[in-house]
Amino acid sequence: MSDNNNTGASYEGIDPALWRGLTQPRLTRRQALGVAGGGIAASLFLASGAASGASLPNAKVGNPTWWKKQKLHHTVNFANWPLYIDTLNGKYPSLEHFTKTTNIKVNYFQVIDDNTSFYAKIRPSLAASQYTGYDIVVMTNNNPPLGYLMELGWLIPLDHSMMSNFNKYAGPLVKNPAWDRGNKYTMAWQSGWTSVAYNSKQVKDPGDSVHILFDKKYAGRVGMLSDPFELGSVGLLALGIEPASSTEKDWSKAATLLQKQKSDGIVAAYYDQSYIQHLKNGDVWVSQAYSGDIYQANLSAKYKDLVLMIPKEGLMMWTDNMCIPLYAKNPKDAMTLMDYYYSPVTQSVVEYYNDYICPVPSAKQQLLHPTSWNKAALASLKPEIGLPTTATADSPLVFPSGREAALTKTYYQFKNQEEINTWTNLFMPIIQGA
Amino acid sequence: MVWLALLFIVPLAIMLSLSLKTCNPASGVCYMTWSWGELPHQVSLYHSQFITSLEYAAAATVVDLVVSFPIAYWIAFHGGRKKNFFLMMLLVPFFVSFVIRTLVWEFILSDNGFFMTFLRHAHLISSNFHILGTGYAVIAGLSYNYLPFTALPLYVALERIDRRVLEAAYDLYASRREAFQRVILPLSIPGIFAAFLLTFIPAFGDYVNQQILGGTSSTMIGTVIQNTFLVTGDYAAGSSLSVVLLVISLLGIWLYARVLGSRSIEEYL
Repeated sequence: MSDNNNTGASYEGIDPALWRGLTQPRLTRRQALGVAGGGIAASLFLASGAASGASLPNAKVGNPTWWKKQKLHHTVNFANWPLYIDTLNGKYPSLEHFTKTTNIKVNYFQVIDDNTSFYAKIRPSLAASQYTGYDIVVMTNNNPPLGYLMELGWLIPLDHSMMSNFNKYAGPLVKNPAWDRGNKYTMAWQSGWTSVAYNSKQVKDPGDSVHILFDKKYAGRVGMLSDPFELGSVGLLALGIEPASSTEKDWSKAATLLQKQKSDGIVAAYYDQSYIQHLKNGDVWVSQAYSGDIYQANLSAKYKDLVLMIPKEGLMMWTDNMCIPLYAKNPKDAMTLMDYYYSPVTQSVVEYYNDYICPVPSAKQQLLHPTSWNKAALASLKPEIGLPTTATADSPLVFPSGREAALTKTYYQFKNQEEINTWTNLFMPIIQGA
Repeated sequence: MVWLALLFIVPLAIMLSLSLKTCNPASGVCYMTWSWGELPHQVSLYHSQFITSLEYAAAATVVDLVVSFPIAYWIAFHGGRKKNFFLMMLLVPFFVSFVIRTLVWEFILSDNGFFMTFLRHAHLISSNFHILGTGYAVIAGLSYNYLPFTALPLYVALERIDRRVLEAAYDLYASRREAFQRVILPLSIPGIFAAFLLTFIPAFGDYVNQQILGGTSSTMIGTVIQNTFLVTGDYAAGSSLSVVLLVISLLGIWLYARVLGSRSIEEYL
């Protein structure tokens, strides 16, 4: 990738190294978000008219005959979140290798920093049956837009004959997931956990339960997330309810619990990504937290005291998914690229930089004993990362062990817009009540 | 005129019509439903956030007027040849981005920041006293961020006062205090008026300060509007709230102009 392929990037003109230096030791993907959305996917039948019943706009695309007619155009436009791919001196080693071996030029755009607002940007093109400008977009499963895209028929069903790496190497957490059965439309890019973190200097007796967030001992020192879907889910966990199989009745119980937590003065504030700064400053002692942030914070000696709890009630796992928007001009190139990222060799390079939950468990061996082009790529990234590859390979936050995997929970899959409204009407008033 | 229509009237008309529509959050399709009920419905949902916003914006405006009047006065009357330099000094911090400045306030006011640590060590505050996450922090942030919007109109008003009028007052045996009360203050009223509007209106709709510095009990309406657009994706409800905000602001301006007179507002705005 040459630099000028990076057109349209949000951080264009800023040296990425400087950008990272100005923000965090390493800015994580989630940290780059402003308002994290939240929420949901899968089969949504849509409120107020639109698309229900009538044949979907993607009814005639994505079947084997359609895929057979597609040709490689040797170019692909890939929209992703900022700082979410191996980056060295403004270039992307894994994408460069891809271009070298496949002769497919990749235009990589770091343009997604929020699901809802990115969706609002591509929606007018999709509604007008036009190319969005992207062949691959990355959308989060705990957020309504991915479900909207599927339900409205605005995604191209994947060509499963071009998913040999995926079929071979994809981990159980991302294969046939609840939000996209059979991986009809999506392949995971990376995943992460939303859990609880605390400062071990201030919290001496943390225990292993999300109930620490409701402990009066820490009144005024507890941070909660301002994302209604994250907030509601932890409320359900605290009540011992599986979020994925919860009912509307459970939701209102969770809302009551969270409202009480607020009126008891336990919550310091409802934070977006800024919670991590408050944890670091010491204003907040315990907080809902994203696993990647805590991993990154721990890399600096100053923030070794921040601990990510593995609560017995469970860890909420979100996944960012690659998918091909309808009317994409280069679907075959997109498929090639998506499957390329399921090679353990490629994934080892991405993960060394990213430190999120790796969709390819066998990338661990590649991190420890690189066998291919990744050997040189990992070595060249090392001065930038400043840690041995074993640190990534051995982290349970990147390659979850059996225990973490068993505790992993998925978000509730909303079945229709009314459910989404019910949820937000229950939890938004807690977050923004006067 | 073309620009006014393009950049102001058209967006306003779009917002007004959107507030009467019903939107599908998935497809983004909006139908005109003339749902006037949405406006009072939003008010009933969020009236307390409107009130909080009014209170905070009013408090911040008062703080700004009190703080910036002496500054503007001093620069206008005693700045001498260095007036421009002093004005520059007033503005320099505001070359930094709005959000960054607010984040720095978060850093300053945080419990382990140097300011609070100093106060604690000096035994001026108890160990569990904090400012960050309270309404006071939000008011402090608003006051700081909108200070130039108060100081500059005041400066313009004070600078315009004809010095001969002041000399005449002294010639007529006015004390310094009387001269201030009966000459300078009345002549600066249009400036105060402009300063008030330029500070109060944006502070009323502000959402950055509350999000960065506020806690659980200080949500302002700007934050609610932002969430309605960006989290819930409900453009119709967001537009309704914006319309209500606009109407409240316009009503406020109108009442205010009735009381103080709008004779020379145009000169200053």
